[in-house]
Amino acid sequence: MTRSPEGRPSPVVSLQFDRVDRRYEPGDPLTARYRIEGLGDEPIEAVEHSVLWYTEGKGEEDLGVHFFARVEGSPTTTESDGTVAFHTRLPASPLSYEGVIVKVRWCARVRIFFRAARDFVSEHVFDVGRLPPARLVTAEAP
Amino acid sequence: MRLPRIFGKKRGHRRTGSQIWGTVGDAAFHAALLLAGFIFGGLLVSGVAVPEWRINHDYLPARCTVVGKRIERRVADRPPGAWHAALLLRYETDGTAREAWAWPGPAAGGGDRGQAVRRLAAWPLGGEVPGWYDPAAPGTVVLQRGYNWWMWLLALLLPGALTAFGGAGLLRAARRWGKSEEHRAASAGLPELLDPVAQRPRASQGHPAVPCCDDLVNSPGTILRYRLPIESPENWTLLGFGLFALLWNAVLTVLAVQAGLDLLGGRRDWLLFALLLPFALVGIAGIAVFIRGIVLASAVGTTQLEIADHPLRPGGSYGLMLAQAGSGEFRELSLSLELEERATFRQGTDTRSERAVVWRQPIHVWQDVQLSPGTRFEAHATVRVPAAAMHSFASEHNSVRWMLVVHGTPARWPAFQRVFPLVVFPPTAGAAEVSP
Repeated sequence: MTRSPEGRPSPVVSLQFDRVDRRYEPGDPLTARYRIEGLGDEPIEAVEHSVLWYTEGKGEEDLGVHFFARVEGSPTTTESDGTVAFHTRLPASPLSYEGVIVKVRWCARVRIFFRAARDFVSEHVFDVGRLPPARLVTAEAP
Repeated sequence: MRLPRIFGKKRGHRRTGSQIWGTVGDAAFHAALLLAGFIFGGLLVSGVAVPEWRINHDYLPARCTVVGKRIERRVADRPPGAWHAALLLRYETDGTAREAWAWPGPAAGGGDRGQAVRRLAAWPLGGEVPGWYDPAAPGTVVLQRGYNWWMWLLALLLPGALTAFGGAGLLRAARRWGKSEEHRAASAGLPELLDPVAQRPRASQGHPAVPCCDDLVNSPGTILRYRLPIESPENWTLLGFGLFALLWNAVLTVLAVQAGLDLLGGRRDWLLFALLLPFALVGIAGIAVFIRGIVLASAVGTTQLEIADHPLRPGGSYGLMLAQAGSGEFRELSLSLELEERATFRQGTDTRSERAVVWRQPIHVWQDVQLSPGTRFEAHATVRVPAAAMHSFASEHNSVRWMLVVHGTPARWPAFQRVFPLVVFPPTAGAAEVSP
């Protein structure tokens, strides 16, 4: 069990996508399985898992949630080995994008709410589409 | 119990405010506004609206005889208010004779003492006037009924605005309380109504985060299918220059008139004269810049761009028709396809935007174009959207925008640039995989 600098147990969320390269196309089905370890004896209030995109870069962060589920208390395991699985079909947009001042990233998030008024977030990034990274145009003509 | 931290980490090393304390502060602010709305509304309703409504609905008519009159003013006012006429009335309620003072409405009020005394002559002693008394308190009589519309407007508008703003903010804070950002974003409801300040772009049907292109396909072209709307931020700049010139010169005129009157009256305010000179120079410069902007905007002539189809798809080719009106010679007229990223962020209390062009493809360049009045230059070209192109993207603070850009270099005028936004959709499912 790992511990945070404040001495509280720091859980570990192991999440696996159904594609090893974590690369999907718009409209593809996505299945993810996760397992929470290292909880210690701190009681859980709820667990949320979601599939979402967010922006990074110079601008304020924007967020779009595609799939969301909240389970009160410890999540019911759906597999015999104690993992929880969820499934969704990805939308047509937006695609993952590595821009210069705007980046769009897709991820699966697992958020654990503890009774002691704190939460723990685990984020697992994947790609939607296969766009090359953008580069800043400096010359008048490319 | 552990109190939430004032500061928390957002992402990486950047520190941000605690979400819990932020929500508490937001809720407290809006609760104070809501409370102020209720108190203000309650005072207006109980002090103005209800008494006025009772006068018009509950008070009973009575024939009143004027048995005394006086003028008065409210000594509580600082400085003391205007003089008003007051009448001592005698009337009967249920067989009982009563006497009470009443104020005969706006006709009796305002002005100095002499005017008020002269007004009293309109109500001779022994004369009869119609009145209405309160059946619950027969000693109260009024000489006028009706509604003060502005008071009702005040009673509804100010407390209503405070209540609506405070209530919406409190409801928004309540919706946020204890919820993760994913939960809030996923919650259905009325987020736009609760947060009217937020500007969420309208998305295309079935394509989240891709801007809607309804406004780009509502104008048919003369030769091709659609005429693209022009984006003209320079027009807003021109309007800004015009407003500045108008306001500045209005202030300058007031100061100049004052200085002229002083001069005619034999007074010379040298400080005012010294200030007027630089003010006048700025005013003249403002007018000159505005007129120059108008001349430049109108002298070059309009630019129109038509496209064969819209929205665009990565890998697709689309016919274009460029039309340039005006007269004279253009050394160069060029058309290019550009991809621009735009990010909006806060720095302290300022909101700033930054742009970066991340892709530019020349489509065509026309050299030595000769324009003549009455006819327009027309040329056809084809634009090809790269197969590995990012689609148009728009969220609240970030966007990726495609646009066609016309650059012109007239022989006699400064160079100009005109922008025509486009919407590029993501590739359709099953499209060929593209390597960078």
